[in-house]
Amino acid sequence: MEILSVKNLSFTYPECTERALNNINLTVKEGEFVVLCGASGSGKTTLLRMFKKELVPHGDRSGEVLFKNTEVTEISDRQSAEKIGFVFQKPDQQIVTDKVWHELAFGLESLGYGSDYIRLRVGEMASYFGITSIFRNKTSQLSGGQKQLLNLASVMAMSPDVLILDEPTSQLDPIAAADFIATIKRLNTELGLTVILTEHRLQDVFPIADKVVVIEKGSIIGTGSPGTVCEKLINHKISVGFPSAVRIWQGSQLGGKCPLTVKEGREFINSTFQAKNVEISSTAICTKNAVELKEVFFRYEKTSDDIIKGLSLSVKQGEHFCILGGNGSGKTTTLKVISGILRNHRGKVLINNENVTKKSADKRGTALLPQNPDEIFLNSSVRDDYIQLLAVRGIKGTTAEQKIDEIIESLDIAHLMEKHPYDLSGGELQKTAMGKILLNEPKILLLDEPTKGLDAYAKQSLKDIIKQLKSTGVTIITVTHDVEFAAETADRCGLFFDGEVLSVSVPQKFFSMNNFYTTSASRIARERFKNAVTVEQVLNAMGVKNER
Amino acid sequence: MKGNYIKLLVLCLGVPIIVAMGVFLFSDRAYAWVSLCVAVLAIVPIFISFEKGSHSSIRLVILAVMIALSVAGRFVFAWLPHFKPVTAMVIITGMYLGYECGFVCGAFTALISNFYFGQGPWTPFQMFAWGIVGLVSGVLAKYFEKYVLVLFVYGAAAGVLYSFILDVWTTLWWDGSFNFTRFIVNITTAVPVTAIYAISNVIFLFLLSKPLGKKIKRIKIKYGI
Amino acid sequence: MNNNSAFAAIHPMVLLLYFIGEIVITMFSSDPVVLLCSFVGSVLLFAMLSSLKQFLSDLAFYLPMLVLIAVINPLFSHNGVTPLFFMNGNAVTLEAILYGFDISLMLISVVYWCKCFSIVMTTDKFLYLFGRAVPKLSLVLSMALRFIPLFRRKLKEFRAVQGAVGLYSQKGFVNKIASELKVFSALIGWALENSADTANSMKARGYGLKGRTHFSLFKFRVGDIIFLIFSAVFFVVTTAGIAVGLTDFYFYPRVAKLCFDSLKTAVYSAFFVLSVMPFVVQLREVVVWKYSVSKI
Repeated sequence: MEILSVKNLSFTYPECTERALNNINLTVKEGEFVVLCGASGSGKTTLLRMFKKELVPHGDRSGEVLFKNTEVTEISDRQSAEKIGFVFQKPDQQIVTDKVWHELAFGLESLGYGSDYIRLRVGEMASYFGITSIFRNKTSQLSGGQKQLLNLASVMAMSPDVLILDEPTSQLDPIAAADFIATIKRLNTELGLTVILTEHRLQDVFPIADKVVVIEKGSIIGTGSPGTVCEKLINHKISVGFPSAVRIWQGSQLGGKCPLTVKEGREFINSTFQAKNVEISSTAICTKNAVELKEVFFRYEKTSDDIIKGLSLSVKQGEHFCILGGNGSGKTTTLKVISGILRNHRGKVLINNENVTKKSADKRGTALLPQNPDEIFLNSSVRDDYIQLLAVRGIKGTTAEQKIDEIIESLDIAHLMEKHPYDLSGGELQKTAMGKILLNEPKILLLDEPTKGLDAYAKQSLKDIIKQLKSTGVTIITVTHDVEFAAETADRCGLFFDGEVLSVSVPQKFFSMNNFYTTSASRIARERFKNAVTVEQVLNAMGVKNER
Repeated sequence: MKGNYIKLLVLCLGVPIIVAMGVFLFSDRAYAWVSLCVAVLAIVPIFISFEKGSHSSIRLVILAVMIALSVAGRFVFAWLPHFKPVTAMVIITGMYLGYECGFVCGAFTALISNFYFGQGPWTPFQMFAWGIVGLVSGVLAKYFEKYVLVLFVYGAAAGVLYSFILDVWTTLWWDGSFNFTRFIVNITTAVPVTAIYAISNVIFLFLLSKPLGKKIKRIKIKYGI
Repeated sequence: MNNNSAFAAIHPMVLLLYFIGEIVITMFSSDPVVLLCSFVGSVLLFAMLSSLKQFLSDLAFYLPMLVLIAVINPLFSHNGVTPLFFMNGNAVTLEAILYGFDISLMLISVVYWCKCFSIVMTTDKFLYLFGRAVPKLSLVLSMALRFIPLFRRKLKEFRAVQGAVGLYSQKGFVNKIASELKVFSALIGWALENSADTANSMKARGYGLKGRTHFSLFKFRVGDIIFLIFSAVFFVVTTAGIAVGLTDFYFYPRVAKLCFDSLKTAVYSAFFVLSVMPFVVQLREVVVWKYSVSKI
């Protein structure tokens, strides 16, 4: 039975000429798992909000949105609150209360249930979602993954018929994200819950989705089972975000059934290709050290454990070095030690062969792009922020304007300069933040989880920026969870574990050596094309000319 | 409806009875008792009227944000004794969110601060004093927008008012009656602190009131409150 | 601190009533015996609730304070008929000093009771008590408590990031204030911008529907009722004693004589028991643990 249906829906935001949604038709059956995908600003979030009465944006709307054959805006407030669950993007901002148990009870309190009933439901939720051990904790003490799980549980406590999730994993690390997606799948299969989800990370969700809907500029350009959508949208712009198996299959142009998972992808390659030796291509890197760490130790407090234990590392000039590793292992701390935000208590930090261990952060010639780029901005427009920074360094007037214009041109952000930083999308915010730190003309750029929350296009433009910066001789050190990103952009990679960086080597070697901590392209192709670790390399090994 | 009348009756009869009983029981500290009752009872009606009013969820969140910011502000400037943005934040809340929110912001800032620094019989007085500062600011809001100078004068006065209310209480509590000498001594020893209060209020209002007003207005427009 | 001790586990409503009763009697009594009982009760309880180090350092602060307040009092009060000596032409009287002791005993007892109150009445208990009377405000309070740690963490991040680009520095007084202000105002912007998400999340979960209830994890147990009844009885006996003037005590012009007739002794004992009840509850737990552990 249809639980949600959209008929001829169009929507325009106030004071906008372009339609945010354009003649959308969509039906969702009971128990279906639907994935909505598309670039940032394609209208995904707008469409999701149409399903939830409380969140329907102001604007000009035509067409119908029906929940169980009733217009969404006409169902009772209570029904909408109870039956349509909504989980938002940011884990921190949707938590309302200070205790986990109270957060779980929040929705049930709104619905006016008695204490005994709430006690039962809250207990049930805590047990089902495995959060009994943090039941009485403060919400501020949870990790990002736990927070998002709590948000899910506190929506599920109201036992909704439909669960809508707006990029729920974009702020999580890959492991927490995979756990979260698995939990949603479990709700879908065990309880028959209808799920509508938007996602950038399609790798995890394509294999489990019943239906995929692709949106571009407010219109649906593809809908159907994941397989059929992938078969239909061959080499479409959107497909850069598709799972590696799909991209390899699409790139091979061999037709047949589209593989979705690593397993299917491997079968596809193993049955079609013979083993072939892929050479490890290595670009010549400069021998001069840009950054060198010598037996560095760091701990936060005098009595706490060392987070960095005797770390020695040298990064060459003009290279892009990626530090990979699990959550909370100390990767970000390492970046902060290099930048001087944190001071190591033993060992030396050398930048361009000069000992900077005692220099403050702003005098080291490094620039750090934080995980949350919004922390870069202090003013109400991007331009104001740029001007302020230059003014502090004593650069004013036309020289300042000239410098700003250079940055604008190289990053292509002219249209963003007068905007309020908080009105920008994730990708735009990151670009403008990058622009601000580049004003200091750093020779060494430190990036902390730069791909977090970015869609496939924004990731592509980040890769371009990195390439461009490298060509001007900037050294880049990136800390990331994103193995695909590291494989595609790094000159060398290292694994951060137990306070040290291990097994430093070029990405092809690094990822083909690892069995678990590696890209899915490598997992798919390793039996035939060892050393091919990116989709591009696999396609090259197949002998397909890559047009892009 | 019936329940409301009973509540009203209890309030009208109960309050005087409690006050009278206290005066009778603690005859030698009657003033202190009455002043404590006044502080507590002044908080109650405003809280109840806030509770009765309808507030959109975004308004409640912004109020909570302002409270949290003014408490966090205490930590930001922890290294500078008495130089705190708290009163300025309370005044700004009253200005932009109305007198009720102003009072609640002041009262809760005091209450929450004392979770960190220790509760005591001074808690109701701090809640009352800061609450009044926010409430009056809400009432005077339209003058503040017209004449910025009024805002700064009020900021300085609020620092003095706050000190004054707490000194009255300290004197009453220690002596049970109003010992004038002690009051004068309390006030004069507090002069430097009061001066810092007044000056810091003006400085913070000067620096924060306009940008914060802009930010609140921006949110109001962006999310249609 | 010690949040799961036997006394702290008592129902918050009972705890609140107990503290109000105890503190009100202490605050508004001038009978030295009553104050001494209160002092002993509060210090004993605090000793149980805090660590030994904390307890000793506090005692080292408050005992000299007790003497200081007492000897300062004659500066404000020249009543009394037993001059000890003259200072600037004013008599320093024995009565004034004794009255000073009396006041400081009261002040310090109240401070100690409040310290115990702060340890025992955690924010969630406060929210529970508040939430029944004023649910909306209790929600605002809960949100504010949830935001404070979030803001403090964000503040740290802002400082670090701005420090790295050279817009935040700790050097120099004016520089530091300007830097802190920059960061604080950035925090304000961030906090306000993100408040819409929180509000949406509330709306999405039905906030604003009629008939909202208030849920809590606290339950009334038999032990709570027993504690309540006992404290009520002793409280009533004490107040009755105060009401009929058994504890009236005066210092001026001449200090009243302490006497312990049977009625007075009864009132004093009732108040003493009331004051040490929490300590006894705590002590019982300690003994039970020692006993059961030694048996194992």
